[in-house]
Amino acid sequence: MNHFKTWTAAAALAVTSAAAYAESLYVPNLSYRTGPFASTGIPLMNGQKDYMEMLNARDGGIGGVKIDFEECETGYSTEKGVECYERTKGEAIVTQPWSTGITLQVLPKTNVDEIPILAPGYGFSPMSDGKTFQWAFNVPGGYWDAADMIVQYLEAEGDISGKKIAFLHLDHPYGKEPLPLLESLAAEKGFELLPIPVGLNEMQNQSSQWLQIRRERPDNVVMWGWGAMNAGAITEAVKTRYPMDQFIGVWWSGQDADLRLVGEDGAGYKSISWSFPNPDAPVHADIKEHVVDAGKSLSNAEEMGGVFYNRGLVMSMILAEGIRTAQEEYGTGMIDAGQLRWGLENLNITDARLEELGMSGMVPAFSTSCANHTGHAGGWMLQWDGEKFVKASDQLTPRVDAYAGLLADSAADYAAANAPWAMNEDCNADS
Amino acid sequence: MLYRTAGQFKTTYKADQAMFPVRQDAILLAIILVFAWVIFPLTASEFTFQTLLIPILIYSLAAMGLNVLTGYAGQLSLGTAAFMGVGAYACYKLIEIVDPITAILLSGVFSAGVGVVFGIPSLRIKGFYLAIATLAAQFFLVWLFEKWAWLYNYNASGAIQVPNLDIFGVFVTGPQATSVTQYYVILAIVTVMTLLCINLTRGTLGRTWKATRDMDIAAELIGINLMRSKLTAFAISSYIVGVAGAMFVFMWRGAAEPNLFDIPLSFQILFIAIIGGLGSILGNYLGAILIVGLPVVLNTVPEALGLDIKSATVEHINIMIVGGLIVFFLIIEPHGLARLWALIREKLIIWPFPH
Repeated sequence: MNHFKTWTAAAALAVTSAAAYAESLYVPNLSYRTGPFASTGIPLMNGQKDYMEMLNARDGGIGGVKIDFEECETGYSTEKGVECYERTKGEAIVTQPWSTGITLQVLPKTNVDEIPILAPGYGFSPMSDGKTFQWAFNVPGGYWDAADMIVQYLEAEGDISGKKIAFLHLDHPYGKEPLPLLESLAAEKGFELLPIPVGLNEMQNQSSQWLQIRRERPDNVVMWGWGAMNAGAITEAVKTRYPMDQFIGVWWSGQDADLRLVGEDGAGYKSISWSFPNPDAPVHADIKEHVVDAGKSLSNAEEMGGVFYNRGLVMSMILAEGIRTAQEEYGTGMIDAGQLRWGLENLNITDARLEELGMSGMVPAFSTSCANHTGHAGGWMLQWDGEKFVKASDQLTPRVDAYAGLLADSAADYAAANAPWAMNEDCNADS
Repeated sequence: MLYRTAGQFKTTYKADQAMFPVRQDAILLAIILVFAWVIFPLTASEFTFQTLLIPILIYSLAAMGLNVLTGYAGQLSLGTAAFMGVGAYACYKLIEIVDPITAILLSGVFSAGVGVVFGIPSLRIKGFYLAIATLAAQFFLVWLFEKWAWLYNYNASGAIQVPNLDIFGVFVTGPQATSVTQYYVILAIVTVMTLLCINLTRGTLGRTWKATRDMDIAAELIGINLMRSKLTAFAISSYIVGVAGAMFVFMWRGAAEPNLFDIPLSFQILFIAIIGGLGSILGNYLGAILIVGLPVVLNTVPEALGLDIKSATVEHINIMIVGGLIVFFLIIEPHGLARLWALIREKLIIWPFPH
């Protein structure tokens, strides 16, 4: 009898929850709160989730439709990621694959299944070519943008021709992503590029890599690291007394927690970023009121002031703006995957709009088009001052024109390798 | 009652040596085959194909390859994933020359070659020491997949991507291929390989392997050529594993980076073989269902019941349940699931009058 009661209760719960979600947009996130990369994943996932929770609580969702923001746990494993993608794709209007491995795997499938793939700041740089990758978006910047901005920053500091720049990267598709661009920049600007790969099982022990760095004495070290590799490299740099202000990371190598490990010794470390934490922004007040005080947040005060949590907020904001744009265009709250694609293709995030959203200064203004799926927003060079990240430069903008040809070639190669590949033939705009 | 063998008389040697001498076994197999060939493909959803049917078949095949080596010939190997990788990379190069199915079947030849090379130390070293030698294959080959750019056609990301390939106008690999087509291709290959394996392990070669496994000195004394026995085991095992690896990437994953073939995959396949039962063909399927299929099914349970549990929590609970089940099954039957089934079957045969 007791069992019967439990089952009926469960069944009733199932029915009511199904009813509650009847009028909502299903937005899954392939999260990783478990596994070896969880420490970097959790703040990002929390930021994404809290922003959507806040919209649901404050505005009743977007355009009057609730957002059913659900996480599917992958543990950063590609296998689980594909499982999550297959499970969610039926009703989902977007897929957020997270790891580069999952993105590579899901990218060709989304083109057949016709679901937008939103990879803010990661994935495959040539995804910016919207004519070829009509379903993929890596707003507001790709890895090649990051590499170009880092080189720009170094140029602004002084002539870089003849300098030696070590490129410390994860030996993985993610770490190898910016290599083609860095190689072409090295040839063009006359600096010497020294790629130093870090294998996946050497992430925590990089003594041989840093020995090489000590021997070669590069003028700068540029790092493309993730997960445990960041903390490993930063502690190793402190140990070998590498000058911290010559050490620059990509935006995934700029987590507060990694630098808090070394504290004052890490002062001077820099990281390029397309987002900046602004704890005084009105959006934080709203999240505190509607999410944190309601006990729905999984985050904590320290994390909420960090770079990654705030980046999570910006990611969800971009998606929410895409949904809103699509809703306005099609005059319906319940948009489908194809309509969301239009929305993401016609994003126009101006400074005025950021002000309205209560997020001014958290991301540079940018806009997308059918040919430009990245927006190339640019970003700032952030610097660790011993306690937190501060801005160390004015807003940098990537010189996309210089490598537009390289982007187009790579996109064309991808399409040729995956033939027959559906392209967006209607798009006539130039990037 | 269900398994009553009384009255099934064998009047010829041929009948006695049939693959399934007991009629009920044959009927059970026929039912399973009908499910696999007709009912599943007709009813399965895209999700079921991609997360249950296809991976279980591929993992079973890989475990079967390992089982030939470890379960039948007694040579412990920790390099399974690397041999799968050889199959996958060989297939990637072969599709430029031949059609995808031939490429998959040929790719096993390359891993068989590599397997024999790494099997040579088995003539001198045994047991755990051999496991360490195969570990060398694991590290060396994964390193090679990373550094030898020709293998992945100098792709900047270092990963291999599966193109859309067709046979007679039907897409077999790549994102354009439908799951049903891929499932049938895999099922056909796995069925044929399983039949071959059952017969190989029953025949002269299988008996030679078992003799080598049980006591190699005794085997040598009765005239078994140990070198031939061990190296054929390495070759055939690596061939099957290589084919499984090629299908793993070309029929299921669609893309692969070198570290996919790292040691965790080797362990996973070894666990499937051990939990399923070493020295058994059926065990590979049972092990794959437990290790690959069960977590996927468990993941869907809370949602189906309408319970609102966070995805990360579900994942944690899942790991605990699967871990618990592995311990449970190994305690009640240390020789694996296949042995468990054999005991149940024996009990059924003599039921209701046990000795």
